[in-house]
Amino acid sequence: MSFLKVLAVAAKRGRATIRYPLEPPLVTPFFRGKISVDPSKCIGCGACARICPPRAIELVREDNRFVLRYFIGRCIFCGMCADTCPQQAIEVSHEFELATPRLEDLYEEVIHRPATCSVCGEPYLPRKLVEKAIESSGMEVARERLEMCPQCRRISTAQVIASSRLRFGSDLLEAGEVEERRS
Amino acid sequence: MRSVDLRKALERIKRSIWVFHLNTGSCNGCDIEILDALTPYFDVERFGIKLVGSPRHADVALLTGPITLRALPKVVRALEAMPRPRLVLAIGACAVGGGIWFDSYTLLGGFPRLLRVLKSAGIEIDGVVYVPGCPARPEAIIYGVCVLLGVVKPKVSRRAVEAPIQLEVTQAGEVRSVPMHREGGADTRT
Repeated sequence: MSFLKVLAVAAKRGRATIRYPLEPPLVTPFFRGKISVDPSKCIGCGACARICPPRAIELVREDNRFVLRYFIGRCIFCGMCADTCPQQAIEVSHEFELATPRLEDLYEEVIHRPATCSVCGEPYLPRKLVEKAIESSGMEVARERLEMCPQCRRISTAQVIASSRLRFGSDLLEAGEVEERRS
Repeated sequence: MRSVDLRKALERIKRSIWVFHLNTGSCNGCDIEILDALTPYFDVERFGIKLVGSPRHADVALLTGPITLRALPKVVRALEAMPRPRLVLAIGACAVGGGIWFDSYTLLGGFPRLLRVLKSAGIEIDGVVYVPGCPARPEAIIYGVCVLLGVVKPKVSRRAVEAPIQLEVTQAGEVRSVPMHREGGADTRT
């Protein structure tokens, strides 16, 4: 009759089983679920894509646009992207009910318009990132240089140096720099 | 072997589903969560879900891990041994997309890639549900089973949102984007 004792204990303890699918799950405030990217705050810098351990977030150029692609299926819910985002655009939600039979459901995208190079016309960075870079440099004069793609900027810089060397060539000759470079 | 429609396949399951736990090189995080789902606290046996020891008895394979090349022949054999309809619950970030091992040379990296191998081997899978999570919570696994059986509809869907650019007209008459730190530009267009 020892099982009757167990019954008494069980009756005292009550029901231990949660009613999960029929009641909301127990989620603590620190629980990390799916991230959500605020498209109005995101500038497309790709800091999240660089820090993401499983590369669940990728910043890729597709055709004429930059896509920040988040693949929930690979995400390990570490929240490092939210920590590292300079714009605080990423928020870690409590959402974990993500099961789906279709793999493509697990993709979320933020599409960025590109900044096109003022010289060659090639898209090189998300538009918002360039604007942010001009803004944080504090110099509107930087716009001219930042609106060039890296390759055109290099060429332009080289041209500036070349022309300045011609102009100030005699000064540099005195300093002996040109002599060294030519040798 | 003819292909089986998932809906028809599910209609054929009138009884409770039995599950087979198939570890394909997982770190055991998801495996512990599966065991957790079987404990009295979550108690999936109240739905009749029962863990069985052989794939021949199972309706659903609970597949965890990124499918290492060592485990691959055994995984294929275990899935082949399952009777039709063959249902798979790919649990955890590794089983869904390879997780942090997605580009390693020692593994396939996720169930979608295994599907290709199975297709070439002539083994058909009648239904798959992907359960993301690292590890997937026991609740998420229960939710995945509910999605697999068609009790609930999946919440997630593919989303593509364009990042809006705020533009304003300066005093000089140029159209430029509103500085980021200033909220609510004068002329807001997206």
